[in-house]
Amino acid sequence: MDTNDGTGRPTALPTLTAFASSPDRGMGLARDMRVRWALEEVGQPYDVRLVTFAELKAPAHLALQPFGQIPTYEDGEVALFESGAIVLHIAERHHGLLPADDVSRARAISWIFAALNTVEPPIVERDEVTFFEAGKSWQAERYAMVDERIRARLDQLAAAFGGSRWLIGTFSAADILMVHAIRRLEGSGILEDYPALTDYIARAADRPAYRRAFQAQLDVFERATSA
Amino acid sequence: MTLDMTGDITIWTLDWVPMTKGPAGFVRDLQLRWACEEAGLPYSIRTVPMGQPDLSRQPFGQVPYMEAGGLCLFESGACLLHLAETSEALMPGDPRARADTLQWVIAALNSIEMVSVPWWFLDVTVAKENGLTGWLDARLAHLERVLGDREWLAADRFTVADIAMADVLRIPKLRAFGDRPATEAYVARATDRPAFETAHSDQMAHFARADVARRAASA
Repeated sequence: MDTNDGTGRPTALPTLTAFASSPDRGMGLARDMRVRWALEEVGQPYDVRLVTFAELKAPAHLALQPFGQIPTYEDGEVALFESGAIVLHIAERHHGLLPADDVSRARAISWIFAALNTVEPPIVERDEVTFFEAGKSWQAERYAMVDERIRARLDQLAAAFGGSRWLIGTFSAADILMVHAIRRLEGSGILEDYPALTDYIARAADRPAYRRAFQAQLDVFERATSA
Repeated sequence: MTLDMTGDITIWTLDWVPMTKGPAGFVRDLQLRWACEEAGLPYSIRTVPMGQPDLSRQPFGQVPYMEAGGLCLFESGACLLHLAETSEALMPGDPRARADTLQWVIAALNSIEMVSVPWWFLDVTVAKENGLTGWLDARLAHLERVLGDREWLAADRFTVADIAMADVLRIPKLRAFGDRPATEAYVARATDRPAFETAHSDQMAHFARADVARRAASA
Protein backbone atom coordinates (compact mmCIF):
# COMPACT_ATOMS: atom_id res chain seq x y z
CA MET A 1 0.00 0.00 0.00
CA ASP A 2 1.38 3.36 -1.05
CA THR A 3 1.17 5.78 1.81
CA ASN A 4 3.11 8.50 0.09
CA ASP A 5 1.25 11.80 -0.14
CA GLY A 6 3.16 13.05 -3.18
CA THR A 7 5.57 15.21 -1.19
CA GLY A 8 8.18 12.48 -1.00
CA ARG A 9 7.56 12.03 2.71
CA PRO A 10 5.69 8.99 3.92
CA THR A 11 2.33 9.94 5.41
CA ALA A 12 1.40 8.74 8.85
CA LEU A 13 -0.56 5.51 9.00
CA PRO A 14 -3.95 5.43 10.66
CA THR A 15 -3.53 4.62 14.34
CA LEU A 16 -5.89 2.52 16.44
CA THR A 17 -5.97 2.01 20.15
CA ALA A 18 -6.39 -1.48 21.59
CA PHE A 19 -6.14 -3.10 25.02
CA ALA A 20 -2.56 -3.62 26.21
CA SER A 21 -3.90 -6.79 27.80
CA SER A 22 -7.29 -7.74 26.41
CA PRO A 23 -9.80 -9.19 28.88
CA ASP A 24 -10.92 -11.67 26.18
CA ARG A 25 -7.46 -13.30 26.27
CA GLY A 26 -6.89 -12.93 22.53
CA MET A 27 -10.23 -14.34 21.39
CA GLY A 28 -10.74 -11.40 19.02
CA LEU A 29 -13.87 -10.24 20.82
CA ALA A 30 -12.58 -6.78 21.76
CA ARG A 31 -13.80 -4.15 19.34
CA ASP A 32 -10.40 -3.28 17.87
CA MET A 33 -10.90 -6.58 15.95
CA ARG A 34 -13.66 -4.96 13.85
CA VAL A 35 -11.45 -2.08 12.84
CA ARG A 36 -8.38 -4.27 12.18
CA TRP A 37 -10.54 -6.54 10.01
CA ALA A 38 -12.00 -3.62 8.02
CA LEU A 39 -8.52 -2.17 7.43
CA GLU A 40 -7.22 -5.57 6.33
CA GLU A 41 -10.14 -6.00 3.91
CA VAL A 42 -9.32 -2.71 2.17
CA GLY A 43 -5.54 -3.26 2.31
CA GLN A 44 -4.79 -0.24 4.48
CA PRO A 45 -1.77 -0.69 6.79
CA TYR A 46 -2.17 0.76 10.28
CA ASP A 47 -0.40 1.34 13.56
CA VAL A 48 -1.70 0.30 16.96
CA ARG A 49 -1.18 2.10 20.25
CA LEU A 50 -1.80 -0.16 23.22
CA VAL A 51 -3.46 1.31 26.30
CA THR A 52 -3.58 -0.03 29.83
CA PHE A 53 -6.75 -0.03 31.94
CA ALA A 54 -5.37 2.94 33.92
CA GLU A 55 -4.68 4.87 30.70
CA LEU A 56 -8.22 4.19 29.46
CA LYS A 57 -9.63 6.29 32.29
CA ALA A 58 -6.98 9.04 32.12
CA PRO A 59 -7.72 12.48 30.63
CA ALA A 60 -5.59 12.00 27.50
CA HIS A 61 -7.59 8.96 26.41
CA LEU A 62 -10.93 10.37 27.57
CA ALA A 63 -10.34 13.32 25.25
CA LEU A 64 -10.32 10.84 22.36
CA GLN A 65 -12.88 8.37 23.73
CA PRO A 66 -15.35 9.95 26.18
CA PHE A 67 -16.51 6.60 27.59
CA GLY A 68 -13.01 5.33 28.34
CA GLN A 69 -13.18 2.47 25.85
CA ILE A 70 -11.22 1.13 22.91
CA PRO A 71 -10.87 1.42 19.96
CA THR A 72 -10.15 4.90 18.74
CA TYR A 73 -8.98 5.76 15.25
CA GLU A 74 -6.87 8.65 14.05
CA ASP A 75 -5.67 9.36 10.55
CA GLY A 76 -4.28 12.55 9.06
CA GLU A 77 -7.80 13.87 8.63
CA VAL A 78 -10.11 12.71 11.41
CA ALA A 79 -10.17 11.31 14.93
CA LEU A 80 -13.00 8.92 15.70
CA PHE A 81 -14.37 6.73 18.45
CA GLU A 82 -17.15 4.09 18.29
CA SER A 83 -16.11 1.00 16.35
CA GLY A 84 -19.26 1.20 14.21
CA ALA A 85 -18.45 4.76 13.17
CA ILE A 86 -14.83 3.83 12.46
CA VAL A 87 -15.77 0.85 10.28
CA LEU A 88 -18.30 2.96 8.37
CA HIS A 89 -15.71 5.71 7.91
CA ILE A 90 -13.18 3.21 6.52
CA ALA A 91 -15.86 1.73 4.24
CA GLU A 92 -16.68 5.16 2.85
CA ARG A 93 -13.03 6.04 2.22
CA HIS A 94 -11.99 2.82 0.46
CA HIS A 95 -13.36 0.41 -2.11
CA GLY A 96 -14.62 -3.01 -1.13
CA LEU A 97 -16.79 -2.63 1.96
CA LEU A 98 -19.82 -0.81 0.56
CA PRO A 99 -21.47 -1.47 -2.79
CA ALA A 100 -21.31 1.28 -5.40
CA ASP A 101 -24.98 1.23 -6.36
CA ASP A 102 -27.27 3.28 -4.15
CA VAL A 103 -29.92 0.59 -3.61
CA SER A 104 -27.46 -2.00 -2.28
CA ARG A 105 -25.55 0.63 -0.35
CA ALA A 106 -28.73 1.68 1.48
CA ARG A 107 -29.30 -1.97 2.41
CA ALA A 108 -25.72 -2.36 3.65
CA ILE A 109 -26.01 0.74 5.83
CA SER A 110 -29.35 -0.50 7.20
CA TRP A 111 -27.66 -3.78 8.14
CA ILE A 112 -24.73 -1.95 9.78
CA PHE A 113 -27.19 -0.27 12.13
CA ALA A 114 -29.14 -3.52 12.62
CA ALA A 115 -25.93 -5.13 13.87
CA LEU A 116 -25.17 -2.23 16.23
CA ASN A 117 -28.62 -1.38 17.54
CA THR A 118 -30.81 -4.49 17.16
CA VAL A 119 -28.69 -7.65 17.25
CA GLU A 120 -25.75 -6.65 19.45
CA PRO A 121 -27.59 -5.11 22.45
CA PRO A 122 -29.19 -8.27 23.89
CA ILE A 123 -25.94 -10.18 23.28
CA VAL A 124 -23.94 -7.61 25.25
CA GLU A 125 -26.63 -7.60 27.92
CA ARG A 126 -26.08 -11.35 28.32
CA ASP A 127 -22.44 -10.65 29.19
CA GLU A 128 -23.59 -8.09 31.74
CA VAL A 129 -25.80 -10.72 33.38
CA THR A 130 -22.70 -12.92 33.59
CA PHE A 131 -20.53 -10.17 35.13
CA PHE A 132 -22.90 -8.14 37.28
CA GLU A 133 -25.41 -10.74 38.41
CA ALA A 134 -23.01 -13.55 39.24
CA GLY A 135 -24.08 -15.26 42.45
CA LYS A 136 -27.52 -13.62 42.52
CA SER A 137 -30.46 -15.94 43.13
CA TRP A 138 -32.20 -14.61 40.01
CA GLN A 139 -29.29 -14.97 37.58
CA ALA A 140 -30.83 -18.06 35.93
CA GLU A 141 -34.13 -16.26 35.50
CA ARG A 142 -32.33 -13.29 33.91
CA TYR A 143 -30.45 -15.56 31.50
CA ALA A 144 -33.79 -17.06 30.46
CA MET A 145 -35.21 -13.58 29.76
CA VAL A 146 -32.29 -12.32 27.77
CA ASP A 147 -31.75 -15.58 25.90
CA GLU A 148 -35.34 -15.47 24.70
CA ARG A 149 -34.74 -12.02 23.22
CA ILE A 150 -31.44 -13.12 21.67
CA ARG A 151 -33.09 -16.15 20.07
CA ALA A 152 -35.90 -14.02 18.64
CA ARG A 153 -33.27 -11.84 16.93
CA LEU A 154 -31.23 -14.81 15.71
CA ASP A 155 -34.37 -16.44 14.26
CA GLN A 156 -35.03 -13.26 12.29
CA LEU A 157 -31.40 -12.86 11.28
CA ALA A 158 -31.13 -16.46 10.05
CA ALA A 159 -34.40 -16.05 8.11
CA ALA A 160 -33.15 -12.84 6.48
CA PHE A 161 -30.22 -14.66 4.84
CA GLY A 162 -32.54 -16.68 2.62
CA GLY A 163 -29.61 -18.70 1.26
CA SER A 164 -27.23 -15.75 0.71
CA ARG A 165 -23.63 -15.98 1.76
CA TRP A 166 -23.54 -12.44 3.10
CA LEU A 167 -26.15 -10.01 4.44
CA ILE A 168 -26.66 -8.08 1.21
CA GLY A 169 -25.47 -10.87 -1.09
CA THR A 170 -21.89 -9.64 -1.43
CA PHE A 171 -19.49 -9.13 1.50
CA SER A 172 -19.75 -5.68 3.10
CA ALA A 173 -18.94 -3.72 6.25
CA ALA A 174 -22.27 -4.94 7.65
CA ASP A 175 -20.87 -8.48 7.77
CA ILE A 176 -17.86 -7.33 9.79
CA LEU A 177 -20.10 -5.79 12.45
CA MET A 178 -22.69 -8.58 12.44
CA VAL A 179 -20.21 -11.47 12.58
CA HIS A 180 -18.30 -9.77 15.36
CA ALA A 181 -21.49 -9.13 17.35
CA ILE A 182 -22.77 -12.72 17.17
CA ARG A 183 -19.32 -14.24 17.82
CA ARG A 184 -19.79 -13.04 21.42
CA LEU A 185 -22.30 -15.87 21.79
CA GLU A 186 -19.62 -18.51 21.26
CA GLY A 187 -19.60 -20.71 24.33
CA SER A 188 -23.17 -19.82 25.33
CA GLY A 189 -24.65 -22.92 23.65
CA ILE A 190 -27.08 -20.74 21.69
CA LEU A 191 -25.34 -20.46 18.32
CA GLU A 192 -25.31 -24.24 17.89
CA ASP A 193 -29.06 -24.07 17.22
CA TYR A 194 -28.41 -21.82 14.22
CA PRO A 195 -26.30 -23.70 11.66
CA ALA A 196 -26.86 -20.93 9.08
CA LEU A 197 -25.19 -18.51 11.49
CA THR A 198 -22.32 -20.77 12.53
CA ASP A 199 -21.65 -21.34 8.81
CA TYR A 200 -21.74 -17.57 8.31
CA ILE A 201 -19.17 -17.04 11.08
CA ALA A 202 -16.97 -19.81 9.66
CA ARG A 203 -17.15 -18.25 6.18
CA ALA A 204 -16.10 -14.89 7.62
CA ALA A 205 -13.30 -16.36 9.74
CA ASP A 206 -11.92 -18.01 6.63
CA ARG A 207 -11.32 -14.71 4.88
CA PRO A 208 -7.63 -13.83 4.68
CA ALA A 209 -8.31 -10.34 6.04
CA TYR A 210 -10.10 -11.78 9.07
CA ARG A 211 -7.23 -14.19 9.72
CA ARG A 212 -4.60 -11.43 9.54
CA ALA A 213 -6.63 -9.22 11.88
CA PHE A 214 -7.24 -12.07 14.30
CA GLN A 215 -3.56 -13.03 14.35
CA ALA A 216 -2.49 -9.42 14.94
CA GLN A 217 -4.67 -9.05 18.04
CA LEU A 218 -3.68 -12.49 19.28
CA ASP A 219 0.00 -11.55 18.93
CA VAL A 220 -0.60 -8.54 21.18
CA PHE A 221 -2.16 -10.73 23.84
CA GLU A 222 0.54 -13.38 23.64
CA ARG A 223 3.34 -10.83 23.86
CA ALA A 224 1.64 -9.25 26.88
CA THR A 225 1.32 -12.56 28.69
CA SER A 226 4.86 -13.75 27.91
CA ALA A 227 6.39 -10.43 28.97
CA MET B 1 -25.57 16.06 -11.92
CA THR B 2 -26.99 15.71 -8.47
CA LEU B 3 -28.85 12.66 -7.42
CA ASP B 4 -32.18 13.37 -5.81
CA MET B 5 -31.75 11.27 -2.70
CA THR B 6 -34.72 12.59 -0.76
CA GLY B 7 -37.61 12.88 -3.23
CA ASP B 8 -40.82 11.32 -1.94
CA ILE B 9 -39.79 10.46 1.59
CA THR B 10 -42.14 7.95 3.17
CA ILE B 11 -41.76 7.07 6.85
CA TRP B 12 -43.42 3.83 7.94
CA THR B 13 -44.70 3.47 11.47
CA LEU B 14 -47.33 1.45 13.35
CA ASP B 15 -51.02 1.85 12.60
CA TRP B 16 -51.89 1.99 16.30
CA VAL B 17 -50.34 1.91 19.77
CA PRO B 18 -52.09 2.35 23.15
CA MET B 19 -52.52 6.04 23.98
CA THR B 20 -52.12 5.58 27.73
CA LYS B 21 -49.30 3.69 29.41
CA GLY B 22 -48.00 2.92 25.95
CA PRO B 23 -45.28 4.22 23.66
CA ALA B 24 -47.29 7.04 22.05
CA GLY B 25 -44.87 9.99 21.83
CA PHE B 26 -41.87 7.63 21.94
CA VAL B 27 -42.30 5.49 18.82
CA ARG B 28 -39.08 5.84 16.88
CA ASP B 29 -40.60 7.29 13.74
CA LEU B 30 -40.35 10.43 15.86
CA GLN B 31 -36.60 10.65 15.17
CA LEU B 32 -37.20 10.63 11.42
CA ARG B 33 -40.07 13.12 11.64
CA TRP B 34 -37.84 15.36 13.76
CA ALA B 35 -34.97 15.14 11.26
CA CYS B 36 -37.29 15.96 8.34
CA GLU B 37 -38.71 18.92 10.25
CA GLU B 38 -35.24 20.26 11.07
CA ALA B 39 -34.20 19.96 7.42
CA GLY B 40 -37.48 21.18 5.94
CA LEU B 41 -37.89 17.94 4.00
CA PRO B 42 -41.49 17.03 3.15
CA TYR B 43 -42.52 13.49 4.00
CA SER B 44 -45.55 11.28 4.22
CA ILE B 45 -46.46 8.67 6.80
CA ARG B 46 -47.65 5.16 6.01
CA THR B 47 -48.50 2.44 8.47
CA VAL B 48 -47.99 -1.24 9.06
CA PRO B 49 -50.51 -3.11 11.25
CA MET B 50 -49.37 -3.64 14.84
CA GLY B 51 -48.39 -7.30 15.27
CA GLN B 52 -48.29 -7.99 11.52
CA PRO B 53 -44.83 -6.84 10.46
CA ASP B 54 -43.65 -6.88 6.85
CA LEU B 55 -40.36 -8.76 7.21
CA SER B 56 -39.46 -8.18 3.58
CA ARG B 57 -39.06 -4.47 4.39
CA GLN B 58 -37.84 -4.75 7.99
CA PRO B 59 -36.22 -8.12 8.82
CA PHE B 60 -36.74 -7.65 12.57
CA GLY B 61 -40.37 -6.54 12.36
CA GLN B 62 -39.61 -3.08 13.77
CA VAL B 63 -40.56 0.45 12.85
CA PRO B 64 -39.61 2.85 11.48
CA TYR B 65 -38.42 2.10 8.02
CA MET B 66 -38.22 4.57 5.20
CA GLU B 67 -38.37 5.00 1.45
CA ALA B 68 -36.54 7.94 -0.05
CA GLY B 69 -35.82 8.65 -3.71
CA GLY B 70 -36.34 5.01 -4.68
CA LEU B 71 -34.19 3.62 -1.85
CA CYS B 72 -35.43 1.50 1.05
CA LEU B 73 -33.77 1.85 4.45
CA PHE B 74 -34.48 0.31 7.84
CA GLU B 75 -33.06 0.98 11.33
CA SER B 76 -33.68 4.50 12.63
CA GLY B 77 -29.92 5.18 12.72
CA ALA B 78 -29.49 4.29 9.05
CA CYS B 79 -32.52 6.39 8.10
CA LEU B 80 -31.23 9.35 10.12
CA LEU B 81 -27.81 9.13 8.51
CA HIS B 82 -29.36 9.00 5.05
CA LEU B 83 -31.46 12.10 5.75
CA ALA B 84 -28.40 13.83 7.20
CA GLU B 85 -26.42 13.18 4.03
CA THR B 86 -28.98 15.17 2.09
CA SER B 87 -29.12 18.22 4.34
CA GLU B 88 -26.51 20.52 5.87
CA ALA B 89 -29.10 21.35 8.53
CA LEU B 90 -28.50 17.85 9.95
CA MET B 91 -24.81 17.22 9.27
CA PRO B 92 -22.01 19.51 8.08
CA GLY B 93 -20.23 18.52 4.88
CA ASP B 94 -16.72 19.17 6.25
CA PRO B 95 -15.03 15.76 6.74
CA ARG B 96 -14.00 16.33 10.36
CA ALA B 97 -17.37 17.68 11.42
CA ARG B 98 -19.08 14.85 9.55
CA ALA B 99 -16.94 12.22 11.32
CA ASP B 100 -17.67 13.90 14.65
CA THR B 101 -21.41 13.73 13.92
CA LEU B 102 -21.23 10.11 12.82
CA GLN B 103 -19.42 8.95 15.96
CA TRP B 104 -21.99 10.62 18.20
CA VAL B 105 -24.95 9.14 16.32
CA ILE B 106 -23.44 5.72 16.87
CA ALA B 107 -22.50 6.50 20.48
CA ALA B 108 -26.19 7.22 21.16
CA LEU B 109 -27.19 3.86 19.72
CA ASN B 110 -24.29 1.58 20.65
CA SER B 111 -22.87 3.08 23.88
CA ILE B 112 -25.82 4.76 25.64
CA GLU B 113 -28.92 2.98 24.37
CA MET B 114 -27.09 -0.35 24.52
CA VAL B 115 -27.16 0.16 28.30
CA SER B 116 -30.23 2.30 28.90
CA VAL B 117 -32.77 0.06 27.18
CA PRO B 118 -31.88 -3.14 29.08
CA TRP B 119 -31.77 -1.11 32.31
CA TRP B 120 -35.20 0.38 31.57
CA PHE B 121 -36.63 -2.99 30.56
CA LEU B 122 -35.37 -4.63 33.73
CA ASP B 123 -36.71 -1.78 35.82
CA VAL B 124 -40.24 -2.02 34.44
CA THR B 125 -40.48 -5.82 34.34
CA VAL B 126 -38.67 -7.06 37.44
CA ALA B 127 -39.06 -5.76 40.96
CA LYS B 128 -35.70 -7.12 42.15
CA GLU B 129 -32.48 -5.18 42.43
CA ASN B 130 -31.47 -3.79 39.02
CA GLY B 131 -28.02 -5.23 38.36
CA LEU B 132 -27.43 -2.88 35.43
CA THR B 133 -27.59 0.33 37.47
CA GLY B 134 -23.82 0.63 37.96
CA TRP B 135 -23.19 0.10 34.26
CA LEU B 136 -25.76 2.73 33.29
CA ASP B 137 -24.52 5.16 35.92
CA ALA B 138 -20.95 4.99 34.58
CA ARG B 139 -21.99 5.66 30.98
CA LEU B 140 -24.27 8.55 31.93
CA ALA B 141 -21.58 10.08 34.14
CA HIS B 142 -19.19 10.19 31.17
CA LEU B 143 -21.88 11.82 29.06
CA GLU B 144 -22.63 14.36 31.78
CA ARG B 145 -18.97 15.38 31.78
CA VAL B 146 -19.07 15.84 27.98
CA LEU B 147 -22.29 17.85 28.09
CA GLY B 148 -20.94 20.05 30.86
CA ASP B 149 -18.82 22.02 28.41
CA ARG B 150 -20.79 22.02 25.18
CA GLU B 151 -24.22 22.96 23.95
CA TRP B 152 -24.52 20.20 21.31
CA LEU B 153 -22.62 16.95 20.94
CA ALA B 154 -20.82 17.30 17.62
CA ALA B 155 -19.30 19.91 15.34
CA ASP B 156 -20.10 22.86 17.68
CA ARG B 157 -23.70 22.99 16.44
CA PHE B 158 -26.98 21.08 16.44
CA THR B 159 -26.73 17.93 14.30
CA VAL B 160 -28.52 14.67 13.69
CA ALA B 161 -26.43 13.23 16.54
CA ASP B 162 -28.48 15.36 18.94
CA ILE B 163 -31.69 13.88 17.54
CA ALA B 164 -30.42 10.36 18.19
CA MET B 165 -28.98 11.14 21.63
CA ALA B 166 -31.76 13.36 22.96
CA ASP B 167 -34.36 10.81 21.92
CA VAL B 168 -32.50 8.11 23.85
CA LEU B 169 -32.11 10.36 26.92
CA ARG B 170 -35.62 11.83 27.11
CA ILE B 171 -37.19 8.60 28.45
CA PRO B 172 -38.82 9.73 31.74
CA LYS B 173 -37.33 6.94 33.86
CA LEU B 174 -33.87 7.85 32.62
CA ARG B 175 -34.36 11.57 33.27
CA ALA B 176 -35.53 10.77 36.80
CA PHE B 177 -32.55 8.51 37.51
CA GLY B 178 -29.61 10.26 39.23
CA ASP B 179 -28.74 13.95 39.15
CA ARG B 180 -27.13 15.15 35.94
CA PRO B 181 -27.89 18.85 35.45
CA ALA B 182 -25.95 19.26 32.18
CA THR B 183 -27.71 16.28 30.64
CA GLU B 184 -31.09 17.46 31.82
CA ALA B 185 -30.47 20.93 30.35
CA TYR B 186 -29.37 19.30 27.10
CA VAL B 187 -32.54 17.21 26.83
CA ALA B 188 -34.65 20.28 27.59
CA ARG B 189 -32.75 22.31 24.96
CA ALA B 190 -33.25 19.63 22.32
CA THR B 191 -36.91 18.98 23.02
CA ASP B 192 -37.67 22.73 23.12
CA ARG B 193 -36.78 22.97 19.44
CA PRO B 194 -39.78 23.75 17.23
CA ALA B 195 -38.91 20.81 14.96
CA PHE B 196 -39.11 18.40 17.90
CA GLU B 197 -42.38 19.91 19.07
CA THR B 198 -43.92 19.56 15.60
CA ALA B 199 -42.67 15.98 15.22
CA HIS B 200 -43.94 15.03 18.66
CA SER B 201 -47.37 16.62 18.29
CA ASP B 202 -47.75 15.07 14.81
CA GLN B 203 -46.96 11.62 16.18
CA MET B 204 -49.40 12.09 19.06
CA ALA B 205 -52.11 13.26 16.63
CA HIS B 206 -51.43 10.25 14.39
CA PHE B 207 -51.93 7.77 17.22
CA ALA B 208 -54.86 9.70 18.69
CA ARG B 209 -56.68 9.51 15.34
CA ALA B 210 -55.86 5.82 15.09
CA ASP B 211 -57.22 5.26 18.58
CA VAL B 212 -60.49 7.07 17.84
CA ALA B 213 -60.92 5.04 14.65
CA ARG B 214 -60.22 1.80 16.47
CA ARG B 215 -62.74 2.60 19.20
CA ALA B 216 -65.37 3.56 16.61
CA ALA B 217 -64.77 0.30 14.72
CA SER B 218 -65.14 -1.83 17.84
CA ALA B 219 -68.18 0.08 19.19
